[in-house]
Amino acid sequence: MSIGRMIFSLLWALLVVPPAIGQAADASGEMAGTGYFRDQDTVPGSLRFYSQLPGGEGKLWGMGPGKPKIRRSSFKQDAHEGVANFGPEVRCKKCHIPQTKDLHYLRMGITCIQCHRSQPVAGVYHYYSPLNPIRRHAYVCAKCHEGATPSFASYMVHEPNPIASATRNSFPLLYYAVWIMLILAVGVFLFFLPYTALWWIREFFAKLKGRSSHGR
Amino acid sequence: MADERTRLKRFTPVHRLWHLGLILNFMILSVTGIAWMFFETPWGRGLANLFGGYSNTLQIHRIAGLVLLAGLALHLIYLLTRIDWKDFPRSLLGPETLVFQLVDVKGFIGHLGWVFGINKLPRFDRWSWWEKFDYWAVWWGLMIVGITGLMLYDPVLTSDYMPGWMLNVALWVHRIEAVLAMGHIFTIHFTVEHWRPSSFPFNAAMFDGTMDLEEAKHEHPEWVARLDKEGRLGEALATPPPVPLRILYFVFGYSIITLGVFLLVFAIANAALLTLF
Ligand code: HEC
Ligand code: HEC
Ligand code: HEC
Repeated sequence: MSIGRMIFSLLWALLVVPPAIGQAADASGEMAGTGYFRDQDTVPGSLRFYSQLPGGEGKLWGMGPGKPKIRRSSFKQDAHEGVANFGPEVRCKKCHIPQTKDLHYLRMGITCIQCHRSQPVAGVYHYYSPLNPIRRHAYVCAKCHEGATPSFASYMVHEPNPIASATRNSFPLLYYAVWIMLILAVGVFLFFLPYTALWWIREFFAKLKGRSSHGR
Repeated sequence: MADERTRLKRFTPVHRLWHLGLILNFMILSVTGIAWMFFETPWGRGLANLFGGYSNTLQIHRIAGLVLLAGLALHLIYLLTRIDWKDFPRSLLGPETLVFQLVDVKGFIGHLGWVFGINKLPRFDRWSWWEKFDYWAVWWGLMIVGITGLMLYDPVLTSDYMPGWMLNVALWVHRIEAVLAMGHIFTIHFTVEHWRPSSFPFNAAMFDGTMDLEEAKHEHPEWVARLDKEGRLGEALATPPPVPLRILYFVFGYSIITLGVFLLVFAIANAALLTLF
């Protein structure tokens, strides 16, 4: 090896290679991919805490939505395969009344197809379904919610009726939180409304009878 | 006549300013919140259109919520400066503070007895039990509605710190607490402060900062007696506010009351059109 080449190699190693090594070391991690769209992807080694869902973490002591309900069609590529009376022209809400009560549909007028994507509608857990939890955040929610993460996508769009007894098992925290708040609210009104009414009546009659009998 | 000192100082300018700010904020939050909650009904959509559609409505709601939380933080700082730290735990008690004490239990039972005509009206000091309740109800309400409101402020960011399904919970808790707060203010608070025969039609104490001395002798006799005994009654007296101010208080107060009742009535009338689950 000539001296010239040695110096060149040394310079090469000193000036060019180290950054390349650094990148290579990180690249392996990056290549694995986290699937997240936020800082975690763009800032390697970010220590920011985030919930990774689905995957078991962040279940908050099992108080969250439990195992999803799996239907006949949940794993089908065409959820409506073999469904009688189904046709692309039939409105979704003719058959799926419980799914028409979420705030996306009711308040924002977002159509079913904007989230369930294309005909034929895939079962939610079909491997290639856009709503499959492994890609739901990216394929569906992120269309409108910039930076949606899997944790975000664990929000239940078609939320169960929070006060129904079935919700105690399917989504305990929702059930208990809503019941506690309802009892608090109803309790306050049940106590204060009659109390205030009686109070008003009492003062009214005290006033009628004249101040002296007001009880002072 | 006008400079006769017939009124008793009750609220400082800071109290009145905060109450005014709370009113304005609460009403903005109520209108925008109800508009969003009732957005699927024509009435709710109409309300939201006043603010230029739902996204503006939500934006105003979010900003008003932040302002309210900032107000709460400032109030907390104010409280810390008001506490007599030298005599600390004991200074929290006594007739001048809003901390619930044994007298309030007695006051409550006595008042209940009076409502049913069993005993005489209890002799309240500066704060009656329901006035303390009103104060603390704002605290508890703001805590619940504030925490869930912050969670809903930016749902994507929130779900970095907790599972996204917490937003389902947060929205319901936020909603119920807000309905509780509005229902309480628009019925119970308005009745107790303004529509009771002894306050009807309008009680301006929180706007003007003073209350009628004769009225105070009936509603807060212990307070007046204590001030008298301590020789502070003279300095606590004030002249009635000038007539233009009184008119202003009345007009402002009744605009707010009308708005509250309007929201309440229409919310109840439209409740059947809401899809909750
Ligand atoms: C004729 C009635 C009918 C119509 C119209 C209809 N569906 Fe369905 N859908 C069904 C039935 C029945 C199932 C199967 C339920 C089961 O598996 O138990 C189903 C299943 C589904 C599933 C899968 C459920 C799962 O657990 O994964 C989705 C998603 C779905 N439908 C969405 C839609 C959408 C979006 C529309 C409108 C484009 C629509 N449906 C229109 C009857 C209908
Ligand atoms: C904002 C996106 C979004 C919209 C809009 C939407 N869905 Fe869904 N849908 C989902 C998600 C996410 C799931 C998976 C379960 C969940 O989160 O509730 C789902 C699940 C379903 C299921 C499976 C059963 C269930 O309740 O889990 C059916 C059926 C369904 N949707 C029908 C509809 C129909 C019909 C409409 C229109 C009225 C609609 N969806 C609108 C996101 C959406
Ligand atoms: C077609 C657009 C669109 C899609 C797709 C969509 N959203 Fe939304 N979402 C909206 C709009 C619009 C709002 C209400 C506006 C706002 O909050 O600023 C909203 C609000 C929300 C909220 C806040 C609710 C609240 O109580 O304030 C959550 C949580 C949410 N979406 C979750 C999801 C999830 C999870 C998905 C994916 C399954 C999804 N969204 C898909 C448009 C969309």
